[in-house]
Parts: sequence; C-alpha cells; structure tokens
Amino acid sequence: MMRGIRFSAGNGVAFLLVAATAIVPFVTQNLFVYSTLNQALIGIMAAISVHVMLRMDLLTFATPPFMAIGGYAVAIVSMRFDIADVFVLGAISFFTPTLAAILLGPLVLRLRGTYFVLVTFVLSEIMQLVLFLTPRLTGGSNGLVGFPAPTVFGISLSDNQSVLLLTTGLTVVAVVIAAFTTGYFRQHFSAIEENETLAESLGLVIWHYKTLGFIVSAGISGLAGFALVNMLLMAHPSSFTSVTAVNYIAYTIVGGRASLLGTAIGAALLVFATNLLGGQGEYSEGLYGLLIILVVLIAKGGITGSAATLVQRLRVSPQPAATPSKLAQEAQR
Amino acid sequence: MDSFIQAGIIGITLGAQYALLALGFTLIFGILGVINFAHGGFYVLGGYFAYAAVSDAGMPYPIAVLLAVIGTGVLGWLFEVLLVERCVDDHLATMMLTLGLYLVISNAMLIVFGPQSPHFTFPLSGTFRAGAVYVTAANLVVLAVCFVAIGALYILIYRTGLGRALRALADDRGVATAMGMRPRVLFPLAFGVATALAGLTGAIITPILSLSPNVGDPVLVSSFIVVILGGLGSIGGATVAAFIVGIIESYSSVYLGGSAGALVLFVIVLLLLVFRPFGLFGREIRRA
Repeated sequence: MMRGIRFSAGNGVAFLLVAATAIVPFVTQNLFVYSTLNQALIGIMAAISVHVMLRMDLLTFATPPFMAIGGYAVAIVSMRFDIADVFVLGAISFFTPTLAAILLGPLVLRLRGTYFVLVTFVLSEIMQLVLFLTPRLTGGSNGLVGFPAPTVFGISLSDNQSVLLLTTGLTVVAVVIAAFTTGYFRQHFSAIEENETLAESLGLVIWHYKTLGFIVSAGISGLAGFALVNMLLMAHPSSFTSVTAVNYIAYTIVGGRASLLGTAIGAALLVFATNLLGGQGEYSEGLYGLLIILVVLIAKGGITGSAATLVQRLRVSPQPAATPSKLAQEAQR
Repeated sequence: MDSFIQAGIIGITLGAQYALLALGFTLIFGILGVINFAHGGFYVLGGYFAYAAVSDAGMPYPIAVLLAVIGTGVLGWLFEVLLVERCVDDHLATMMLTLGLYLVISNAMLIVFGPQSPHFTFPLSGTFRAGAVYVTAANLVVLAVCFVAIGALYILIYRTGLGRALRALADDRGVATAMGMRPRVLFPLAFGVATALAGLTGAIITPILSLSPNVGDPVLVSSFIVVILGGLGSIGGATVAAFIVGIIESYSSVYLGGSAGALVLFVIVLLLLVFRPFGLFGREIRRA
C-alpha cells in the first residue's frame, strides 16, 4: 500500500479557517462573539474526534468520557500541584486520555457496528458514575471549581482574549494531528471503512490502525476537555454527559462525515445557530434532531459531501451522457 | 428480613417495567436490526399522552392509558413507514434517524408542556400490608399490567402466525422474504408494537415516578443495559435480564447506596459486551 502524506485541499482550508480565528481577539471585544467562538472551537475538536473514528466506520459515544479524562486531569494537576504551564497542561490533556485509550482499546475495538456504539455508550455512562463516586479526587457532584488560569512563559492567560487564543491554539493542534493521522494512513482507514474483513485478508494489520485512530481520537477529545474546563473555570460532570456525545455526532454528520472540513463546518454552523437562536435555546435540540433526520434522508454526505456531489454534477452535466438505459433502449430497437 | 422482602418486591416491579421496555427494544433490534435510540422518547410520549388525556380531556385513567398505547404505536408505525424504511439496512443511518427522532420528541414535549413536571398522579392510592411489608395498590396494578402485557407479547410472538413470520424475519431475512413474508408490512408492524409497549410503560410508570421531557434518558440507558445483558435481539434473554437488573438495582440501592450498584452493573455489562456480545443466555442472533 502506498504511503506518504497527502493533504487534501479541504484539510488545508479547515486548518486556515481554524487558525484564522486567532485574529478575532485583536479585532473585537464582543463577549458574545468570544463565547460563541470558544464553544464552536471546542465543538470542532470534539467533532473531529468523532470524525476520526467514523473514518473507520465506527460511531463513537466515547468523546465525552475522554474529554472528561483530559479535562479532569488538567484540573487536578493544576489545582493540586500548582502546575500552570500551558504546554505541560496541554500535553497532560492529550496524553492522559491516550493512555486510557491504550488500555481500553484491546477491549473495545474487538467490537464493530452496533456493538461498538453500545459499548462506547456504556463507557460514557460509566464515566459519569465514576465521577460521582470519587468525590475526593474529582469533587463528585460539585466538580472541581476554581480552575486557575494557565500561564505561557510565565504570562497568565486569564482575560477573555487569552482564553479564546488558548482554545484556538488547542484546536489548531487538534486539526493538525487529525489531518496528519488521517492523511498519512488515508488508505488504511479507507480500507477498514470499506470492508474490514477484506482489508484484513489482504494483509492489513487492522488492529494497529484501529488502535491508532482510537488513541488519536481520545487525545483530541482530551484537548477539547482542557479547552472546556479552561473556558468554564471548572470541571463538572454535567459537561461530559453521554447526551453531549449526540451533539458532537450531529456536528460531524450534518457537516459532512467524510472530511475534516465538513466536520469543522458542521460544528461551527450548529454552534452558531444554537447561539443565534439565543432566547429560543430550548429549540436547539429539536433543531439538531430535524437536521440529523434531513441529512440522513436527503443529503447523505452532509453539507460538504452534498456540495462536492453538486460541483461534480455541474462539471459533468454540459453533455448529457448516454445512460445505460438509453443504450439498452437503442439496442432493443 | 422485612426490608429484604420489601426490596425484593420493588425489584420485581422494577424488573417488570424494564422487561416491557426492553422487550420492545429487543424486538426492533432482533427483527429490523435497528438500534432504537428513540425508545425513551416513546416512553415519554406515552406518559404525556396519558397525562393530556386525563388532565386536558378529562378521560378516565384506563382509557387514557389505552389511548397512549394506541398513539405511541401509530406514531412508531408511521415513523418506520415514512423514515426508517428508506434506509433500514444501513445501521448507521437508522441509528442517526432514531437519535434525531428522540431529540425531536423530547424537544416537542418541552415546547408543548414546558420543562416542569406536570401534576400527574396515579388514580389509586392505598397500601396493602403484611406484617411490616407494605405494597402500594399502584405498585400491584403496575405489576399486573406488566405481566399481562408481557404474556400477551409472548403469545403474539410464539403462538400466532404473525409472530412466526416476525421470528422468521429475525432469523434470516433473505430466506423469510423468499418464503413470502413481507418485510414492508411486518417491519412497521413490529416497530409499532414495540413503541406501543414503550408508550404503555410510560403511561403507567410516569404517574408513579415522574414526568418531564427528559425522563427518557435513563429509560434508554436501562433498556440498553437489560438488552445487552440478555443478548441483543433475544426475547427470553431480555425478560430474564430485566428482572435481574431490577432486583440488583433494588437491593444495591438498599444495601450499597445507589451509584455503586449501578457502577458494578455497568462494568459487568461492559465486559459482557466485549466477551459475550450475544448476552448471558442468548446465542448469536444477528451479526451487527
């Protein structure tokens, strides 16, 4: 199988879009923009972790528990051990969930399809119970409140601008890691997505790549957990319920599950839509529901997938091709 | 000893409710191969249907329950015919569809009835006593209704031609279709029966527990747990597992405190899912 990184244009655009949000803190002071953008970027990271698993045809509910592991690890380290350096915290938020994924992978990745969905769902429920049952470590139902501002080279990142900049930075890292993984192993992932049994029979050691994908997905979730804890200034079980996994799945599916760009667009659009509805925030769930149903029934590839199909059709359409049925009709004459 | 018996009775009642829910859930999975994330939604719908019929239309409670059963059954049937049927073989698509439906249902209930739990109580009060063991009348009625419904479902599945057709489809869709079973008629029917069971459970349980737009979440979780324990798609397995889960939950909340028992149960289920995905009692019914 051919190796070598191939960065698609879509990945490049996704990277530029996310990186461009770093300008926002220098352009506006609008708090509504800050909070929406923060949520959108966290949504993008979480959705990317779903996307990476979907590249292997695995629908995961395990994003919130890994976010919880990353977020709580950072909160515990910085609150108990006074470690505030952003790079250390970022590494902890990435590698702790990764470690959990390495331990869980051999168990969970034996399953496919429906069973994988169920096992990740059960995992997210278990995580909630564990958080409630370990009050000494995680603060139980109170969570860990009063997350101190992280520092970069000794400068404290406590104001709104730097909170947003930190989230942007984490998202850029997440996009790069995801683009690198899915780009370098594009064919391996595609082979697993297409037909795992066939891929295995052709000599692909699938558990290598499935474990890798799972680990990367977990690490990216952890980064999202860090950003979330930093934004809310606390780690709380209610931030990581299995229901939130549904949102991240919705972002991915609505935006376009096949590409990073689609995933990012879906997350950004849905978060902005929810925030713009503002006072009618209670409608957002139903809106997600309707969008998911519509996308599944009408636009299978999501926003970017449908756009790509449309472009392709427009390119081809100038000369109507002879369809097989027409040929068949002529043959009958 | 009395608290032991008391907890046992609560466990059996819980088990009967779980059985009703899980039977519907497992029916849909066994026959259609669809994981119904909207199952909790139909439970909520059943509760609100019954509530609206009693408080807005002034109907007697038993009629309201009947309406809730019919209402949720018809909605389930419609949902299958109109939406699920289009992509019934794509497990990811159907999962997303039912997820979407669940969000729409719980949001619709929130918009129509508001976030507060409405005042909806069981029409029977009164308790029976034997020694120091108390059983409420409502509890007994629920238990009776659950057992009748479970019995009726068993008769439907194992003693009628329709049930045989459904089981044939669950066994091997290709062969059953070739023998003249019609999935396009039977799938919606099975879906409707299953959602009607969820609606029935909602209509009789929510007045005892509580009714609000998001009570479907824990229902979905316990359906998952029961069905995985019993083996996805297995009817007998779901029934036995429901009572096991109900009894474990009841005793662990008395003797261990709520969450610890639940955690043990969840971890068991996780391990079971990994090492024996066809459940404690089941054989492999359907490759997912």
